[in-house]
Amino acid sequence: MRTILTDILLSLLFLVLQTTIIRFLAVQMIVPDVVLLWIIYLAIRRGQITATTAGFFIGLAFDLLSGADSMLGLAALSKTAAGFVAGYFFNENKTAQTLGSYQLILIVVLASLVHNLIYFVIFLQGSGITWSGALFQYGIPTTAYTAALGLLPMFAFARKHLT
Amino acid sequence: MVKRLYDILLLFKEYFVVAFFLLVSVVLLAVNDTPQIRVIRSYAVIAVGLLQDTFSFIPNYFDLRRDNQALRAMNLSLSDEVSRLREGKLENLRLRQMLDLKERGEYRTISASVVGKNLQMLRNTITLDVGEKDGVRVNMPIVNESGLVGKIIGTSSHYALGQVLLNKDIRVSAKVQRSRVDGIIRWNGGRSLALQSVARTFDVQAGDVIVTSEYSSLFPRGIRIGTVSATRQIPGSLFQGVEVSPAVDFTRLEEVFVMTYLADTSRTAVEKRIRP
Repeated sequence: MRTILTDILLSLLFLVLQTTIIRFLAVQMIVPDVVLLWIIYLAIRRGQITATTAGFFIGLAFDLLSGADSMLGLAALSKTAAGFVAGYFFNENKTAQTLGSYQLILIVVLASLVHNLIYFVIFLQGSGITWSGALFQYGIPTTAYTAALGLLPMFAFARKHLT
Repeated sequence: MVKRLYDILLLFKEYFVVAFFLLVSVVLLAVNDTPQIRVIRSYAVIAVGLLQDTFSFIPNYFDLRRDNQALRAMNLSLSDEVSRLREGKLENLRLRQMLDLKERGEYRTISASVVGKNLQMLRNTITLDVGEKDGVRVNMPIVNESGLVGKIIGTSSHYALGQVLLNKDIRVSAKVQRSRVDGIIRWNGGRSLALQSVARTFDVQAGDVIVTSEYSSLFPRGIRIGTVSATRQIPGSLFQGVEVSPAVDFTRLEEVFVMTYLADTSRTAVEKRIRP
């Protein structure tokens, strides 16, 4: 129970971080997705169902907080899928190893690409902007930035795992 | 039978969970503009506004140096432009008096600080520290010293959410200032805009200034939108491709003005009634 409560509180904290502080790290309108990093962490630590559920609820909250456009449910959809994909890499006996190795970055890249692909294909419907162009211009740089930020927890867990 | 179903459910529980949440997300996407959701969103505007306002003092490290240089350059060019505009205004006054024309209505502006920017996943909105109590309403234009920024799309009592020009949902009736050619401004997904619906034979050249048109039901005419950066002929199309570089630098948006201009409802009502 205590773990669930901590996870919920940390999810809220990451949401607040994403909507307030992270934008100050924007490079040419590209911002890393710390919320997605958190969902991936949950996937590796707690498993596929937790990550999928967290992906949905965090995505829904993100949809509500990110503007009054007509896309409520889109971040929920893409983050649910990302959580589900990341959950495939859950291995109860290798949690610390996964979090502290380059495997984490590979999972971040894969989950982020799935997330961005779903997001852009739906988001850009009827806009005249091609989703493939948006994926190359924003999706892949966002994935790269998120993966780069993912190096920080990776090194922290590697260090913790070694000591 | 029930036991067997339960076993199947247990065996594929991950798939059932993901299918359920994906289904709920799709349903939400389909029915997301109900009055209830609008109320929740107005609370979300308050929450985001308060949070972003709290952290708005933090500068973007990557932008500070570039900001300084750009501001110096802008200061120089604006000083020059002010003196030329003063001359222009005097000349305009004289000509208007000669022609006995009505002075164009001026709109009150509400100054606002950008306390939050949502650049995530192309949603591209800004949060302003003014709201309904300051007289801000949905669909009012947002401008700054360089030109058109966007429009208000959501309000709470003390905060407002603005949609910038670099947003997939925005459309602006626009005009080439020099040749008076009309078109529609849309975001092309990159750092620039596109002036669409311009016939290939029409006179548009690189360097032409694009302003809002009198056909716009949302924006007053004559607000600068940007400058034509390139034109190209599209094979097999009746229209030409016109790329417009926005006048406003959206990465460095800090202070803006909300124009207390709202579309003339009687005009839109007539247009709706008469058009088939």
